[in-house]
This record gives sequence, C-alpha cells and structure tokens, in this order.
Amino acid sequence: MDSELIQQIRSEASYLLKDGTVKCVIGYERASDGLTSRPFFAYEPAAVERLIFDETCTHNLVRYLLDKKREKVAIVVKPCDSRAINLLLNEAQIKRHMVFIIGVTCSGVMETSCNDKGQALQARCQTCQMTKPLVYDFLVEQKLVERPEGEPYLDIQEIETKPIAARRAFWSEQFGRCIRCYACRQVCPGCYCPDCFVEQLDPLWVGIRIAPKENELWQITRAFHLAGRCIGCNECERVCPVDIPLGRLNRKLEKEVKELFTFQAGLSPEEQPPFATFKKEETLGFEE
Amino acid sequence: MNLFLSKEDLIRWLDALLRQRVLVAPVRVQGLILLQPVSKVAEVTLDFGNTTLSPKGWFLPPMETLFSVQSNDGQQKLVPTTIEKDAVIFGLRPCDARGIALIDRPLLREPSDALYRERRARTSLIGLSCRQAQPECFCTSMGSAPNDPSHVDILLTEIDNGYILQVITEKGRALLSESFAEYKGTLPKPPEPGAVPTKEVVPAVKKLFDDPYWERLADRCLHCNICAYVCPTCYCFDVRDYSDKGSVERIRGWDSCQSPGFSRIAGGYNPRVTKGARLRQRFAHKLLYFPERFKDVACVGCGRCVRSCPVNIDIREVLRDLQQLEVKSGS
Amino acid sequence: MNSQYQPKIIGFLCNWCSYAGADMAGTSRMSYEPNIRIIRVPCSGRVNPLLVLKCFQQGADGVLISGCHPGDCHYNEGNYHTRRRFALLRDFLDYLGIARDRLWVEWVSASEGQRFAQMVSNFTKELAELGPRSES
Repeated sequence: MDSELIQQIRSEASYLLKDGTVKCVIGYERASDGLTSRPFFAYEPAAVERLIFDETCTHNLVRYLLDKKREKVAIVVKPCDSRAINLLLNEAQIKRHMVFIIGVTCSGVMETSCNDKGQALQARCQTCQMTKPLVYDFLVEQKLVERPEGEPYLDIQEIETKPIAARRAFWSEQFGRCIRCYACRQVCPGCYCPDCFVEQLDPLWVGIRIAPKENELWQITRAFHLAGRCIGCNECERVCPVDIPLGRLNRKLEKEVKELFTFQAGLSPEEQPPFATFKKEETLGFEE
Repeated sequence: MNLFLSKEDLIRWLDALLRQRVLVAPVRVQGLILLQPVSKVAEVTLDFGNTTLSPKGWFLPPMETLFSVQSNDGQQKLVPTTIEKDAVIFGLRPCDARGIALIDRPLLREPSDALYRERRARTSLIGLSCRQAQPECFCTSMGSAPNDPSHVDILLTEIDNGYILQVITEKGRALLSESFAEYKGTLPKPPEPGAVPTKEVVPAVKKLFDDPYWERLADRCLHCNICAYVCPTCYCFDVRDYSDKGSVERIRGWDSCQSPGFSRIAGGYNPRVTKGARLRQRFAHKLLYFPERFKDVACVGCGRCVRSCPVNIDIREVLRDLQQLEVKSGS
Repeated sequence: MNSQYQPKIIGFLCNWCSYAGADMAGTSRMSYEPNIRIIRVPCSGRVNPLLVLKCFQQGADGVLISGCHPGDCHYNEGNYHTRRRFALLRDFLDYLGIARDRLWVEWVSASEGQRFAQMVSNFTKELAELGPRSES
C-alpha cells in the first residue's frame, strides 16, 4: 500500500471538506475483512483518516454521483471510472461543476472474490491500456507497473467460434442461474432510468417471473441498452452472486460498436453517442 | 444411539433415498455451490463450506406458480400446483436449519401458507455439522452452533474416515432403510466461529430508529436484492397474475425491501423513499419487529450477506455499531 | 425443403413504404408464401429490439423489419436509426445463438410490390432450410 499516495488523497479531501468546497468526499476505506476495500463517504475533515487507496479498490464510485446530485461532492476515480464520468456528463446526468474529481493513476486492480483475493490482476485490467484518468481536478500519481498489451477480446472470440447450438446452450445455462437480484443494474453507472423496463407493467416485458425466457430477455436487453455506453468497469460481473459472465455480453457489444461505428464510450464528454446519430451513406450490411 | 457410516455407506444410502424421493443436495456449479435436485449421487459435493443461496429456496422458491386457470372452449378450470414427490435435503448446515425453523413461525402460523406447509411436511432434513467455520460465520452468537441438532431430522458429523449419524426425529428414523454400525466414540469438538455481541440489540434498534446512522450506512448500499435473496430468513414475496391467451397464472416470487419500488403505492407515494429508510427496514425487521412477534432475532449467523454484499455492508458491524451507539446515547 | 415444417415469420412493416408495398403485392394478386404475419408500424425506427426478442421467444422462426429506403423515410431519419440498431442486434443475437439470418432488414418502397413478394418468398425458403428456431 502506497502511503504517500494515501496521504495526498487524505490531505486533498481534508482541504476540500474544511473550506466547504464539497459536502462529501466519496472514496474507499478498508472493508470488514481487513483485506479488501469498500466505498466510504467522508463528511467531516476528521473522517478522511479512513480513506485508503490500493489495488483492492475495485468499486466504480461514479455510480454514487447519481444519488448525490443536489450537493457538490468530491470523488476518487481510477482511469476506467473517469470514463463513466464522461458518460454521465455526455448524457447530462451530472454537472461538471458539481463534482470535484480526485483522479488516481492506476495499473490495475486485484481480484477480490473470496477464492482469489489479492492473487491476480482482474481480467478487465489485464487488457486495459489506460493509466491516467481522462478527467480530473486533482491528480494523485502512484508508481505504475508495466502491463503487457493483451488481446482484449479472446474470451469473446472463444464464444464466437463455437457452433451456434453450443452458443445457445452456453448462454441458456448462464442465464438460467439468474435470480434477478438486479445487482448488475444497481451497481452500473449507466443504468439510471427512474423506471427500468423491467418495472413496466404495460407493456409487461419481463415482470417478476424468474424463468429462462424472462431471465434471457432481462440480460440481453440490459446489455443492449448499454451498447455504446458501457465503459467496461466490469463491476456488474463482480457483483453477480451467481457468477454470470456479464463481461462477455457487454464487451461483445463494445467490440461490435467499435467495429461498426469506430466508437468507444466515455472518452470525451462531448462525443456523439452512436445511437443518437447516423451516417447517411453507411449500409452496415443491409443492401439497398 | 449414534451410528457410523463409511463414505461408501453414505453414498449407498443416498442412492436408496434418491430412488424414492427427490434428493436435494449441494452441487458444485462453476465457482458456486448450489442446492439443487440431483439425478445421480455422484453429482453431490461433500466438500463445501456452505451453499451460495440458502435452502429457503426449496420451501419458498424464487418463483412458483400458486395456481393457474386454464381456459378451454369457454370452460375455466382451476389447476392448483401439486407437490409430486417427497423430498430430502442433504447437507443442510445447522444455521440454515435454524433459518427454516425461524421462517416457519410467520409462514406456518394460521392461516398457514399452503404450499410452504406441504413442502415442509413432505421434505426431510439431513443436517451436516460444520468441520470448519468460515471467516464470516457467527452462528453461535445467533442461537445456533456448528453442530446444533435442533431443527433437522438427522444430523451427520464428518470425521476422518466417515460420518457419525444422529437420529433426531422419527421422520429422520424413517429415512434409514438399512442398519448401520453403532458409533461408540464421542462427537468431535465443533469449530468456534467468530463472536458478535447481541445482548442489547433489540432495544438498541428501537432507540436508534431515527438516528442518522442508517442514512450514512446506506450511502454505499446499492439497493440490489442480494442480501435478501441469499438470506435464510428473509421471506418477502410478491404475487402477480400473468395472462396469456386466455389462461392465467398466479405467480409468487421473491421480493426485497431493499428494492427502490418495494413500498411504492398507487399514486406514486413511497413511505420508504430514502436509502436510509430502506436499509433500516431490513435490519429493523430482523432485529426488532421479528423478535417482537416471534421471540427470536431473524438472523442465524450464516454470513452469506457478508460474503455476497458487493459493498461490504456487514451485519456483524451493524450489530456492534448499534450497541455502541446505544451505550453512547446513555441508555 | 421439409414440407412439414412451416416457418413462422413476424414482419414489422412501416406504414408509408413497405406496408404499402406489401399492399400493392396483394392488389396485384402476386402470390407469396403465407408464413408471414404483418404488424404495421408508423416507421421502421419504431421497432424496439425488445419486440424482436419477444417474437423469437414466443415462437417466431424469423423476424423481418422493413422500411423506406434510406433517404426516403417519411419521418426523415427514422430508418437511419433502424439501420444502426439492427445491424448491432443482428450480430448480438448471432453471438447469443439466434442465427443472424433469422433477422432481416429490407428496404421496400410503396411501389415495390413485386420486390416485397419475392423477398418474403426468399426469406421463407431460407428459414425452412435453417429449421425451427427452437432447435438451432
């Protein structure tokens, strides 16, 4: 754990709270197992002593900005999280002047699941090339570790090359375990609809029924609603209590959106989202 | 009299049970341990801490059809759900057995829940003592123990070369189709899970109902349904009718007080609109309302919520915090 | 072609172009396979991907979305959005085990009755080759 890094975060947080610039600093503290971390909200300058930052800080805290729109807050972000901030700025869900961004440079986060605590770099980090947040007001730099440039879509290709019946069987089995806890939706900064389509009664797309067809409809549609918007934090997969490989759904769409529209979500707060625009001359495989 | 089973004896016995009943047992699926009906004894895993989801799902399924109304040629026919076969749950940890006994109190109280009652009557419980406590376990603080025989029909205790079998009820005795050797030794000492103070928790929750503690704790809560769904003693459900081409199904499914729309009523008003109010509800139900009506706190110390909560809302911490806060407020 | 298996096709046709084109096929007494059931929508851009998913889940073997030719949309831009949306959905469904050839997006104008009839006929024949959706 880099104590100089943590001191910088704490002193900046203390300064922001003391002079009333922000009402709250959203960061990380040590979890109850003494090993991993969890989100922490510091409201008083004394509370900043609980703030930490290390390679267990996996949570995407940007999601909490959606709960704190009425007051100015500070937030600790990693490079991937900063893409979520750009997404929310782009979609007018947060205002730039209401967020003080404490950016931290990063070379990856460790697995925090019970079986692999602290053992390995998370899969999403292994293929990430970002080291610095794209947007910040205060930058905290830490010593970075070189990461080899990995092939980002190997696990997607593994499914793509299966015969179609095997693909069907694979996804049926994965979606079959879903218990519709909606943790994937709740943890996602991109899922902020006040009335999610699953809550709609008319038309009743999904309802409360937990069964293969409904689970499939839920999973496919959520992924599709995030097409061109998912910034790849993979928190959805981490929080799933029944280990559904959600990353392999969202990143498939990320791959296709990149190929079809040369677009990646969250790189800038002013970009044109792919489904809000079009090119007159593109055919996209649909002949005239 | 305690009995002794070798591993082969156990497999043979489970196989015999499988022929007459549905055998529900822990199965390793990817990285999870899921409790589900098996078609072969070989599918059962004997090497596990506890199941990812609790056994309440067998008695109160994540989703079930209460009944359906079929429409044919203008005639309506009510088709109730029937339980086809008797079942036996194998590998039930004592904390979970206590969990089932706790939710029996509201669900079997007259007028009792018909499907739950029938499943309970037709399911036998084979408990399995814990050889090891997991870091998140705290059953001994919540009225249970790693080797607690209450609430099961048979209790198995694993030792190095086999299993000690204790018959607890007559329902359990009826499961034994062959006679096994007597076990003359003593039962092994159970492991000691972590302890959590619980003495003053019920009055503490009552006193601290309006404390800002809840809103602060709820800051990081995602209001997903994980804690309620993995918990052995959460039993809220929703009932909806689904119609399709003239026939109607009445579905009952799990629900959670954490869900933002849980207490929203017609017109849009929501008495628990703040995060703190919703989070407080789950703890207040378990630690205050349930014991006020049914005598015991509705938590068995299984640790599932602690393991599964994505943001580490830890009930053990909450229990400690509440009691410390109450002391500070000068009870 | 297996004469016993009859594919079920759901077609979303935009009111201004393709529905009128289908209508023209009818008034001109052009015959085509009867396997398609048509749902009229104001614009192909109105078609929600959820509707397409529901169709497949409820038993459709193929789904057709037909609209005005790009550039001729009655609402100016609707079909440009259709194009992007379903280009992505088609790839995604294929990845999930629903063959890409089960989702067709075709541009048919109000005067293209013959083209509509031919297109439905082709779609039906190809789906018959693919087999029922529930089995593949």
